[in-house]
Amino acid sequence: MAKRDGPEHDETRGLTRRGLFRSIGAATLVAGCTKEDPPLHPESRAVADVDGAIGLTPTPLEFVLDGQPQKLEVEARTTLLDLLRLDLDRTGTKLVCDRGACGACMVMVDDVPRNSCMMLALDVAGATVTTVAGLGGSSQLSALQQAFVQHDALQCGFCTSGMLISSSALLRRSAGQTLERADVEDAIAGNLCRCGTYPHVVDAVLSVANGGGGSAHNVVLLRAKPSTKSGGA
Amino acid sequence: MPGKTKLSVGYGPNIKTINVELPPSEPRPWDTVDDMTVVGTPQPRIDGPLKVSGEARYTHDIALEGLLHAAVLRSPWPCAKVSRIDVGPAAKQAGVGAAIALVGVGDKLIFAGQDVAAVAATRPELARAALASIIVEYEPQPFVVQTRDAMRDGSPQVHEAAVEERRTGADEPGAERAQGKLSGNVRPGRSQKRGDAKRALNKAPVRFEATYTTQCHTHSCLETHGVVVRWNGKKAATVWASTQSIFGVRDEFAALFGLEPSKVQVITNFMGGGFGSKFGANASGTALAKIAGDLARAADKPVKLMLDRAEEHVCTGNRPDSIQLVKLGATNKGKLTAIHVQAHGTAGIGTGAGVGRNAASVYTKVPDVLVESADVFTHAGPAVAFRAPGHTQGAFAMESAIDELARQLGMDPIDLRLAHDAHPVRRWQLELGRERFNWDARRKAAADMRARNTRVRKGVGCAVSIWGDFGGTEARVTIEIGRDGRVVVKNGVQDIGGGIGTVMAQVAAEVLHRPVEEIEIQIGDSKLGPGVGSGGSKTTSSITPAVRNAAELAKAELAELAQTALEVNSTKNLRWTAEGVSVGRQTLSWADLCKRIEGEAIVAVGFRARNSAAHPRSFPGFETPEIAGAQFAEVEIDTWTGEVRCTQVLALHDCGRVMNELTLRSQINGGIILGTGYALMEERVMDPSLGVMLNANLEQYKACGVKDVPEISIVLTEVISGNNSTGAYGIGEPATIPTAAAIANAVGDALGVHVRSLPITPAKILDALEQQQRASQGGTK
Repeated sequence: MAKRDGPEHDETRGLTRRGLFRSIGAATLVAGCTKEDPPLHPESRAVADVDGAIGLTPTPLEFVLDGQPQKLEVEARTTLLDLLRLDLDRTGTKLVCDRGACGACMVMVDDVPRNSCMMLALDVAGATVTTVAGLGGSSQLSALQQAFVQHDALQCGFCTSGMLISSSALLRRSAGQTLERADVEDAIAGNLCRCGTYPHVVDAVLSVANGGGGSAHNVVLLRAKPSTKSGGA
Repeated sequence: MPGKTKLSVGYGPNIKTINVELPPSEPRPWDTVDDMTVVGTPQPRIDGPLKVSGEARYTHDIALEGLLHAAVLRSPWPCAKVSRIDVGPAAKQAGVGAAIALVGVGDKLIFAGQDVAAVAATRPELARAALASIIVEYEPQPFVVQTRDAMRDGSPQVHEAAVEERRTGADEPGAERAQGKLSGNVRPGRSQKRGDAKRALNKAPVRFEATYTTQCHTHSCLETHGVVVRWNGKKAATVWASTQSIFGVRDEFAALFGLEPSKVQVITNFMGGGFGSKFGANASGTALAKIAGDLARAADKPVKLMLDRAEEHVCTGNRPDSIQLVKLGATNKGKLTAIHVQAHGTAGIGTGAGVGRNAASVYTKVPDVLVESADVFTHAGPAVAFRAPGHTQGAFAMESAIDELARQLGMDPIDLRLAHDAHPVRRWQLELGRERFNWDARRKAAADMRARNTRVRKGVGCAVSIWGDFGGTEARVTIEIGRDGRVVVKNGVQDIGGGIGTVMAQVAAEVLHRPVEEIEIQIGDSKLGPGVGSGGSKTTSSITPAVRNAAELAKAELAELAQTALEVNSTKNLRWTAEGVSVGRQTLSWADLCKRIEGEAIVAVGFRARNSAAHPRSFPGFETPEIAGAQFAEVEIDTWTGEVRCTQVLALHDCGRVMNELTLRSQINGGIILGTGYALMEERVMDPSLGVMLNANLEQYKACGVKDVPEISIVLTEVISGNNSTGAYGIGEPATIPTAAAIANAVGDALGVHVRSLPITPAKILDALEQQQRASQGGTK
């Protein structure tokens, strides 16, 4: 299946939340202006070719998942997220909002971070898909995964796989460059965390990108200890 | 070592010795003299590798042989009578294993989103598709979803009879029960009283009065509420639950189905956020465990019911909104004489719209105080405890009023607080914050920007919090030391993201002088022994003393073995090190010592004793320490567009003994970020004409993203109170209480006029500026 290009397929930046809003906004606008279905493509206005159409019966699908070739049949309505979670046991990829607003279901499709809830399984025919499981198992963590643990870039852990996918993609495209906090913030702008772990995620990514350190946290612990001089509050 | 002992307790350099009486077998609490080597250090969480590799299995991820997926049909009407229901057609749909009605003809539904019928099918999409075939006819009835509308005479009545107050382990301990009688949709609830506030107000030479409002705020846990139910015969079940209280789920599930609690096993290996909403088997607005259990019985297969995002917003609870009329009385010299707060809020069809304790319990030097809270019923999903229930609303109104009064009196708001707050740690925090936040210089700069009427303004504000150490004594922690040297610590507590397993390992490592990575932690299963619900910020303070006490008991047994082996007179002569145990030059390695264990293992069980002490002050009404906190915020506002950003927060908190500086920082950051969203962005929007929530999603319900986060600095003012054997308190809730109030006060400082309504949106800022301008042009009337 040929890859399509479009505003939400920007190869360098991946799908951002804002980009998604823009495309939804445009689609809603078009739908509001016309009673017919919006034209998908100038040439597709002719009657569909029924023979080649993907229908309710399962359709063959081949793609590469975490380095392993997959050959299976899926229904046209199955999202990539459902395929990964329900059929291929990739439960590290999470279902949270189911409409592309939170980034918890992010996977890399041909090195671009994508919300898998917003793609159909059949959209990845011929593509290479990487989930969090493909970044490294618990006994062979990647440098980024290790940095997440060291900086405590997770609390409940439900946004973590999406955060890792967004930031892996950032590290890949910025290979070797020094990053600023704002670069990491841009990269994870589409990943929602309810525990409020963002500052530690940024620390972790910077420590890998810029080599060690990278912590901008500012904590002072004033211990309860008798002082030699009589001080006081 | 039972009986009386002396402890060195205090905060900062203010240390003193107190006498405490310890219960039998209770070890002497770690005090300021004890030097910790593992406890308090920044330790990465022990289950981090499982979470970053995606190998951690949450309830959402449970897959079982033959598992069916459930979906629930919900009322589209805010108020309606059911005139027909037929689930028969759903049962015939592809893949469906069971379809059940949850209401009958004649039943009244009172919020949009209420349970109507449910289906279980082999795939989630088949279950959802089957719902469409269920036939339901409704007779819609008048409804009301806005709090002020519901308070009017003649508005549609939500409840006709008395309302049962539903309370959970996440409610504030010690909060008074509601006693008032229902009148229309209003039922007077909790009140706090000291002296005669109304009379004192009448006599006060300076009076301040304002109404503050806060929005309804949804928990928005990333992992939605959900369970997997598998029946093991008719009288026993295994339940995987995304919960903050494994034993709460067990007991409620057993009660729902008439089972012995011991026959219900509840498992929560990992869970994706709760924030107060995940107590009990059912959620506040949907009987999810009952539904899953009934479907599993009907289909004779295990059933998973995970709510979707819209359901999570609508029927699993929320933080009630509030309308708070605050009246302050003062002398001309800035001495507060009276506080009167009248609060109304809607918990939807549920209860619990109280407003916390800032007014009554922080400002203890104010002689006359009255805080009255009332529930206003509306046709909306029921509220439930939400990270510091009542406190964030109450702190916003009270701390805003203090700032506004200070402005009226021409006083510094910190000075006004210091003059009326007797808690020595909070006073210290305010002074530290004033200095470290560069308060005086920033206030001057803000005043200068106001005077010059600059387009972009900055301002600073502060606010305080009150909480208590509500650690419980019910947990029983087991520690096993095997002949092979293995150390296993077991408890049926759940980790809601705070990282309890990691601090359990640290405490055991500290006592036994073992490396943290060699302590095996088993949690998240009711079979592992009584745990504690994670509500009230009490997990760490309930569990870690039990771990220590169990470890001390096991160590005492090991000491006896060592005493015999090393031929010493007393176990007191033994020196414990990372290598093992020694006397003089003789050392017995840990492995050799453990080989002397008779049988397979030493097994010891520990629990937290009641509080030994409450230094330096006790929480009102409790023999437990009061936890102090203060936060300072800076905002930047574009006065042309109303755009507002919180740029910096300085958080000063007391959390007893710091157990793990790394995970602690995570929790404090999280509290501040939640509070920032509450202050500036998040709001449940109800449509008054349709009675439904308009933004039940995560793109229009706006929680903080990374770019909305202020730069955060943290000062931990450690307090050693001797209250329990480790000295731990909680931090989850205190860290979010003052944030929104501090941000609101910073907005007031930047603009010179207070925005009295949360969230502080650009529109409200422009409104406030316009009113300020009108007032200055209109002059005095």
